[in-house]
Amino acid sequence: MSLNKNKIALFFAGLFLLPLSGQELPRQVSDSFPTQDLEEVVISATRTYRQLSSLPLPVTLIPKAQIERTGVTRLNEIMAEQTGIVMTPDATIGGGEGVQIQGVASDYVLILIDGVPAVGRSSGNLDLSRFALGNVAQIEVVKGPSSSLFGSEALGGVINIITEEPDLERIRGSISHRAATFNNQNTSVNLGRKYGKTGVSFFADRLSTDGYDLAPADQQQTVNPFYNYTLGGRVRSEIGKTLDLLVSTRYFAQEFDVDPGTSEETDFNSLLRATHHVGERSEWQYELYYTRYTTTEETVDPIDETQRLDNDFDQRLLRPEIRFTYDFKGPFQLIAGAGYAFERLDRSLFDGQVSFNSQYLFSQLDFRPVPRLNLIAGARFDHHSVYASQLSPKFSARYDITDHLALKASVGSGFKAPDFRQLFLDFTNASGGGYSVLGKEAEVRGIQRLEDRGELASLAVARSELGIPLQAERSVGYNAGFRYRKGILTGEVNLFRNDFRNLIDTRILASKTNGQNVFGYLNRDRVYTQGAEVDLQLRPWPGLRLNAGYQYLLAFDKDKRDAVEQGRVFARDPGTLEAVRLEEGDYFGLENRSRHTLNFRAFGEVPRWDAFANLRVTYRSRFGLADLNGNDLLDITDGSFVRGYALVNLALGKTFLKRYQWQVGANNLLDFRGTNPLAAQDTEVFLNPGIQLFTRLSIQL
Amino acid sequence: MKTPRTLFFLFLSLLTLASCSDDADAPEFALLAYSPETGAPGTEVTLTGSGFPSDPSEVSVTIGGVAAPVVSVSETRIVVSVPAGAASGEIRVTANGVTRTSSGGFTVLSQLVAETFSNLEAPQTGSQGEPEGGPFTKFSFATGQVTESETEWDIAFRGTTLAVNGGAPTGTADEPERNGNGGAAIQDGTFAEITSAEGLTFAQDAPGAYAIPTGSGNGWYNYNPATFTINPIPGKILVFRTHDGRYAKVEILSYYRDAPAQPDPFTDESRVYTFRYVYNPNQGEMTLAQ
Repeated sequence: MSLNKNKIALFFAGLFLLPLSGQELPRQVSDSFPTQDLEEVVISATRTYRQLSSLPLPVTLIPKAQIERTGVTRLNEIMAEQTGIVMTPDATIGGGEGVQIQGVASDYVLILIDGVPAVGRSSGNLDLSRFALGNVAQIEVVKGPSSSLFGSEALGGVINIITEEPDLERIRGSISHRAATFNNQNTSVNLGRKYGKTGVSFFADRLSTDGYDLAPADQQQTVNPFYNYTLGGRVRSEIGKTLDLLVSTRYFAQEFDVDPGTSEETDFNSLLRATHHVGERSEWQYELYYTRYTTTEETVDPIDETQRLDNDFDQRLLRPEIRFTYDFKGPFQLIAGAGYAFERLDRSLFDGQVSFNSQYLFSQLDFRPVPRLNLIAGARFDHHSVYASQLSPKFSARYDITDHLALKASVGSGFKAPDFRQLFLDFTNASGGGYSVLGKEAEVRGIQRLEDRGELASLAVARSELGIPLQAERSVGYNAGFRYRKGILTGEVNLFRNDFRNLIDTRILASKTNGQNVFGYLNRDRVYTQGAEVDLQLRPWPGLRLNAGYQYLLAFDKDKRDAVEQGRVFARDPGTLEAVRLEEGDYFGLENRSRHTLNFRAFGEVPRWDAFANLRVTYRSRFGLADLNGNDLLDITDGSFVRGYALVNLALGKTFLKRYQWQVGANNLLDFRGTNPLAAQDTEVFLNPGIQLFTRLSIQL
Repeated sequence: MKTPRTLFFLFLSLLTLASCSDDADAPEFALLAYSPETGAPGTEVTLTGSGFPSDPSEVSVTIGGVAAPVVSVSETRIVVSVPAGAASGEIRVTANGVTRTSSGGFTVLSQLVAETFSNLEAPQTGSQGEPEGGPFTKFSFATGQVTESETEWDIAFRGTTLAVNGGAPTGTADEPERNGNGGAAIQDGTFAEITSAEGLTFAQDAPGAYAIPTGSGNGWYNYNPATFTINPIPGKILVFRTHDGRYAKVEILSYYRDAPAQPDPFTDESRVYTFRYVYNPNQGEMTLAQ
């Protein structure tokens, strides 16, 4: 009863506040996008709501409708279908999958959920299959560095998952179940409704699968059976005339069946955000964000039940942030912010708990001196307790030559803080040869300790070099291109270059009396990725949308390329095993990069039948996985190349009785399996588990 | 003044010419120099002089008493090839019954040895967290064989570690005694490009450091953590001074039994070396060109 009263009160309050709420641009959350041409709005590029078509930066927007109609349920699956984005397998068989944007590895791609960062990486890789898509309104991908807004890790790009917000005063959402090959069962419930000025939503997702095996010859299974849960909840409420409060929580738990032993993973995010509108022009946002990521891994000896391996990882981030936006209601919009990040890590391989703190300030001016010209200038300053401070500026510009044609260009810098491992690791591998690895902060102490114990044979670097602080890894990214849009055609061309320096590599600090080495970290490598991206979209008639995308990519280590050009690098003749000098074109470039990636997507619908269909094809050309001949670079004589291949995905769907939707489809329709070139002789290891059929039934509320 | 002198020289010349033409059966020729002064059988030696007959069949040359095949002849140049079985000694040129003998001797060198040694086993103990140990497998370039000798060895292998017979033990267990004057220098290039040991700096084993540094990327090999494979770094040519001051160059071809082109660390036996080498057995000779 009281709920009803409240509802009415809130409803009236809502009516009263209606003019104020108009301040925020409408968020496009529509499932009818293939036919309608709504203006798409993104937030990740500038941290203000901007029309996608007006931005000076390369941005990819994946709306909810596209996610739903493809029938995929995890972030990695939908990312793999986008232009210039490649999901790359780890070189080691059965290793994780990483997202690659503009040829930049996943270590340098920042993942955000509603604008706040996800943590928890394994070997630099953040597993995108962790993110269920059932409650996602849209996914935004900003390519190129965005450290001027988001700080560390935003070098190759930013992926921002925007969750849905209820928009009607009745329960809306969906309940669905999807069954697929490998006993992949995914149940998802996504509900939300508005109570006056308060929107409440709830999300639950359960996925389980028997996993699959890429290497039939060996005993283990490549992906063990696992199940995971995602729970999400969010409440957004407008309180009084000027206050807007958001509370959002997500919890993810996953367990692998690796009997005997355990392998568990949890990911918790919680966001509290208050937005205070002061007058019509300015807005203050107060944000408190907490996230914790844990993994527990335990291997037990099956015979005597003793513990063989115990590897725990527990990372936490607490981050308050304040932002201020001022709209000059004219050519200017200003945004400024400051924050404080507390990070902490407990890891079995570390000597106790490690933590670091950082403080940051950022500001951005969005300026339109003449109607056709848009300039955005921003910068961020990060101060850190362990490594040197970073200043990351970014400039971008867009000029509308005509109503249909716009030129875009941007230059920005990105950085990635040395991670906990590079700073604090203090590890001796007793079971794997007795080598030691020392993080930068543990270098002096660790070497001293080995010396005291008489385990050190000789130092490979000058003693004065020990403990010299690590610099952040840095990049400068350049993007320039144009966008054409007229009638049924939208076309976008973008040229990019990302110059990386100070990439952190390992080196030998000393040799030990057991013949093994002590490794440390240093800033050394310089690499670049450059290329061109073309994206075309055609809507020949209502109900049909065609997309084609292409990326050409060159990615090299500069020093290695110089060495090849100077004739200092050799390969091995596979017949005689004798060394031969490499020529300039023989260096293929960085591992796991394809020169050419292509995608083609067709989305169609037949309103008369309430049915839709879509076909998506992705192709990537030849790429190499690893150096095999010992010259420490991937050259054309290495036997680790994977031939180019295409994956074809198909989905069909039909709606019954307005609210029931049935989908069937196949991912990897042509049953491509491929051959992993690193497989042992006379055994076959696949790259892909093959065709995955699925069917999904959902009830739309 | 001028004229009588000119006339005098003219007269002298005529006299010389006349004396030559008088002795028409045995024309005078001179052997002035030869180069090189050392060489292995097969080396071409150029003799320079004057008055050599132009027909090769009229010339015979011996080196250390063994007939050397004549390659070409001109009035001032004879090229011969050092014969197999030649001994060091004088070079003699005989033409038209006259024999001229070189003013110095020619040193015949031993032929450079170019071989590939397959499957040298280099086991070790420990290493999995334990101090590494076990005897090194010693190799002698002079015999081209693995050796048990405590003194007549040049290089020795244990796991990925290479020791030279020169310097001092580095401090690990079970190292052989260094009693020679061996050393090592790592060069970049193809095997054929490394033609001499001249001008190289040879390091010796020393406490805490092998002459060939240990560890991935430091010395002769790279360890690839993605494939768990140890590969010799292509283009790293190891030049050695042997325990008795001779020189050799080595290219390690594989660390796995039978040198598979693409070793599989899980099935191919490791710590089994295949390497090729060129050894110059001549004391003081630094050339390594084949």
